[in-house]
Formats: sequence, C-alpha cells, structure tokens
Amino acid sequence: MLRPSIDNNQREEKTAKIDKESVIAKRRWPIPGGFGVTTWRAPLLAAVAIGLALAVSAVPILISGKNPLLAYWAMLRGAIGSADSIAFALNKSTPYILAGVGVAMCFRAKVINIGSEGQIAVGGVAASWIALNFSEFPSVIVIAAALIAGAIAGAAWSAIAAVMRLKRGVHEVLCTLMLNFIGLLVVSEVLRGPMGEPGAGFPQSPLFAESSWLPNLFPGIDMHAGIIFAVAAVVICHVFLWHTPFGFRLRLLGGSPSAAAYSGVSFGRSVFEVMLIAGGLAGIAGAIEVLGVHYRLIEGFSQGFGFNAVAIALLAGLNPLAVLPAGLFFAFLEAGALAMQREIGVPSSLVFVIQGLTMIFVLCAIGIGAKERSV
Amino acid sequence: METKVIIEVLAASVRIATPLLFAALGGLLSESAGTFAVGIEGMMLMGAFGGAIASLICHSAVAGLLASAISGATLGTIVAVATARFRADQMVTGLAVNIFAFGLTSFLLRGLFGGNAPAIVLPTLGALSIPFFSRLPIIGPVLFAQPALTYAAFVLAFALQLFLTKTRFGLALRAVGENPAAAFSTGTDPGRVRMVATIAGAAIAGLGGAVLSLQELGTFTDGMTNGRGFIALAAIIVGRWIPLRVMLGCLLFGAASALGLNIQGWGLPISSYIVQMMPYLIALGVLCGIGRKARMPAAIGKPFIRS
Repeated sequence: MLRPSIDNNQREEKTAKIDKESVIAKRRWPIPGGFGVTTWRAPLLAAVAIGLALAVSAVPILISGKNPLLAYWAMLRGAIGSADSIAFALNKSTPYILAGVGVAMCFRAKVINIGSEGQIAVGGVAASWIALNFSEFPSVIVIAAALIAGAIAGAAWSAIAAVMRLKRGVHEVLCTLMLNFIGLLVVSEVLRGPMGEPGAGFPQSPLFAESSWLPNLFPGIDMHAGIIFAVAAVVICHVFLWHTPFGFRLRLLGGSPSAAAYSGVSFGRSVFEVMLIAGGLAGIAGAIEVLGVHYRLIEGFSQGFGFNAVAIALLAGLNPLAVLPAGLFFAFLEAGALAMQREIGVPSSLVFVIQGLTMIFVLCAIGIGAKERSV
Repeated sequence: METKVIIEVLAASVRIATPLLFAALGGLLSESAGTFAVGIEGMMLMGAFGGAIASLICHSAVAGLLASAISGATLGTIVAVATARFRADQMVTGLAVNIFAFGLTSFLLRGLFGGNAPAIVLPTLGALSIPFFSRLPIIGPVLFAQPALTYAAFVLAFALQLFLTKTRFGLALRAVGENPAAAFSTGTDPGRVRMVATIAGAAIAGLGGAVLSLQELGTFTDGMTNGRGFIALAAIIVGRWIPLRVMLGCLLFGAASALGLNIQGWGLPISSYIVQMMPYLIALGVLCGIGRKARMPAAIGKPFIRS
C-alpha cells in the first residue's frame, strides 16, 4: 500500500481537513463505485424504492388474475396481525440484522463482502458441534460456548476471503461468493458424515438436547432471545462506526482511499478487521438460527440469507442503526407473504420479486446520486 | 472399469457441460465488455422458464428456444439499464436480478397454471447422431451423438473466440472492457457497447436455461438452475476470460459433475459433496494463482464516467 512519509503535522492537518469536509460533516453514503448520497436522503430513497417495487410487483399479481391491493392487504394483516406472527417475523429478522449490520460495516470501507451465507453456514456448523457434544454442561455455558464457536467459525471463514484479497489481490466479491457455495456444501458434508442423524430422511443432525436451546424471551410466545443480540450488535456497530477511531478509518477508506493512505491508515489491517467483525456477526447469526429456530443443523439452513444481508445493508444506507428497521421490513415481508399465500392463494414467492426489485431500485438511486455528484 | 462406462461418463460430461457452456459464453461476452455477469444464474432461470412455457403453448421447440433467448435478454436489459445507465454496482445488481428471476418464475409458474406446484411435462430434444463421425470409436459416442443444442454450444464457443479476437466489433467490445476512455476516444460509445454486450450475453445465457428445461429435463421447476450460473461464473474465471479455455473449464466441471453423480454407484471413498465443491475450489485456486496478473478485463466493474 502506498504510504508516503509525511511528518506528523502535515498528517494531522490532512486528517482534520478530510474529517471536516467529506466524512463527518456530510456523512456520505459510500458504496461500491466510489460515490455517495447524503444521509437524510437515504430513508427517503429506501421508501421510494420499496414503493416502486410494490407498484411493479402488482403486474405479476394482475397477470395471475388476483387483485394486488387485496394481496398487499392480506400481506400486511398476516405480518402484524397477531402476537404469533410478530414473534415469527422477529425470529426471522434476527439473522438478517446480524449479518446485515456486518455487511454494512464492510461496505462502508468499500469491502464488498457478500459472503454472509457461507459465514452463517459454518457458524451454524460450529455451534451445532458444541451443542451436540457438550450438552451435559449447564445451559448458559453450552449456549455461550456455541455462540462463541459460531462467531469464531464465521470470522475464520471470512478471514480466508480477507487473506485472499490482501495477499493475492483476488476481488473479495469473487472469493466470498465462491466461499458461500463451499460453506453450504460443508454443511451437507458434515451432515452426511459425523454430525448427521442416522436414518433421517432429510440431511439433518439429531435434535439438540433441550439445555442448548436458546430460551424464549416471553413464556408462551415462540420468540427466542436472539433479537437481543441483533439489537446489541446494531448499537455496538453504530458506536464503532461513528464514535471510534476504527470507525473513522473505515469511513475514511470508503470515502477516499488515497486520503486514507496519506493519513497513515493501514488498508490491510482495516479490511482484515472489518471482515472479521462481519464474519463473526454472521457466524453468531448461524449459531442463533440452529440453537433458536431449528434446534438442529439442517442442510441449506442459511440459503438466501447472504443476499438478504446485502440488500438490507444497502436499503439501510449502510447505516448500522437503520439496519434494524430494514431487517425488520424484510422479515415482516416474508412473514406477510406466507400469510398472503395461505389466505388468498397468491404465491408467496412474490416476496422475492419485491425484494429483488427493491434492491435494483435502491442501487439505481445510489447510482443517480453519484451522477449528481460527479457533475 | 469398462470402456463402456468410461464412454458413458464422458458423454454425460459433455451433456452436463452444455448449459454451463452457454451460460459461461454469455457471461464472458458481458464481462469482456466490462460488466460482471453475476446475474447469469437468473438469466438461465428466465430462459428455462420462458422456453418451457413457450414450447408448451406453441408445441414447438424452436418457439421455446426463441422465447428462452428473449426471456434471458429481458432480464439482461434490466441489468444493462441499471448498470450502464444508472451506474448501479454490477455485482450487487447481479445478485438482485437473480433473486428477482427466482421469485418471478416461481410466482408465474403458479400464477399462470394455478395450483401449488404444477408439473409441466415436455418432450425432450433427442440425440442427433452425426453420420460417419458418430461411428468413430470412443469420440463418436462422446462427441457426435449428442442433442442439437450441445453442438450449438460448442460451435458458439469457437464463434465467440473468432468474434472477440478477429473482428472489428469484437475488438472494440474488448477495448471497452479494458479501457473505456480509450475506446471512447476512437468513437465507440462504451455505455452502448456494454448494454448490447450484456443483453446479448443474457440471451445466450437464456439459451443455457433452455438446454436444461427443453433438452435435459423436459420440465420447469422452481430454481431449477440450482447454482449452475455460478459454476459458469467459476468456469469463466478458470478459463481466464478466453472462450476456448472457458469451454475446457466447462467440460472439466461437467466431468466433475458426471463423476459426482456416479460416485455412489461405484462406491468410491470420496464424498459427492467434496466433488461438488471442486468448481469453486479450482476457481479460487486460479484466482489466487493469477492474482493481480489476472487476464480479467481491466475496466470490469468500473462504471464509465464521461468527462
């Protein structure tokens, strides 16, 4: 990495200047490609993108001969209609938020980590291993150990990609993408071998002992304690990003790599650290998914989570606090779609159309923002 | 092992490589002009769906093929407009259209035919033996007794190689992928070239989907491409963005897949999941091996900003 020797005075001056002009004062939204949108516009853009996506998704609903308004109404009622449906959506949102906030941190530094899916997968494997082998320990210890194991496995998986990026110059999108598929196959492989349930029709592990199940937050409602970890992760990442030197380095790297180099920010170290954080969070998400939802390791349990994490991070304008509502939105959308299918027979796969379109519109909006800035 | 078994596995490798090859060549065309082709999975899926529906309605495989190319190109147009016109990030746009295509095909399958997961049954395109050549020992049954689209895929690989290295348009296209500013100064419009390349590539990837729905399986099911688009992406990397090498990469992955299918039957001491990992592991190895000296088009992923 380019690191010219400039004396400390100059360095401080440069840092201060960048600090005032481009990073703190305007709080740009740096995304791949090197451009940004100011923060106050991000929620507006997100709302417009969602609105457009819902409007365009009405076309396939019409083609299938149903009324889009009725479909969306059924979706809304299904999503927030009862305590059970809200609990279901909150359970669903937990891995999205955890992985999404990690992705948001990475994208801030222009590290395009799309590897959450693989990181969640190996996190789930590690947590399952603990849950299956150490169930005789007290519940608190097993659960804590499983979560930590998940975090370590996820971080290690993500570290592979970081090392490839830093040592061999491989584009991080390509290596995280490939590692996703390898991670999914690792789950299948351990279920075929050491961790599989003999005689089960589906590739899955035996049910965990009840001591390793993530407890419910409220008695009688099927909602596990994972959402607390998600909220904590969001708050911690917010503080990290906006109120620590580490977060400043990330934003500096994302805002202007050359300015970061001139002010002595180590590119490699920052990339490595942020990848470890994102991988660790995704690993915890995987652990929570096996300990709190399935109570066992299941083939393909992490499928689709990686995409959602990226979509949520972008929808949130790469702002950790905004990941919370964005993640909840995706989860409620999915919960609502299932209800819509049950009630009025509109296929729930509509949710993927809405999610894909939302993301395309968000990406285009960011691109337009860049156009304005480049003029 | 008997020769007959080996011939069967080799022939299966070529057959399995066919959809990969279409998808990889389509992706290669798009990437040569500087647009990452992460969306080929979705384009294949759209092609598989469009092909199946059209051939079901028109009772004609030709109509199916045409529809699959158009369906793929439709998704390609979304990618092209988003990336070239609005400068959306190429990789993430690719992921977005993949999920969009998965949702749309699955939704329309149920929406158009009703019911929960309607089963479509189509006649598959049969093998087309080439006279004389198909009777050659070993290479005859492996290479010259394949279905029609398989021949088309391999012809296309050679055609794309010629197009990219020998023709004026092909060279201009690669110039846009390597250095859009220089291409612009010679009168080529990089934005337009990228759009055309992405859409044409998407049509070809759509044909890859048609291979699955019309030639291999004779049906359409949710997400039936099952990650083949990403294996094609790996093949482009392994082939280092050169059509004929990409073709060899597809054949390699086809062989790995054919082996994976047969491993249990033969009782080999290796897991089929490990074999399935091979394309990704090999691609990572190639990426690490070539590192910064990759033959990846230099300006890939970077939006062209006219100044």
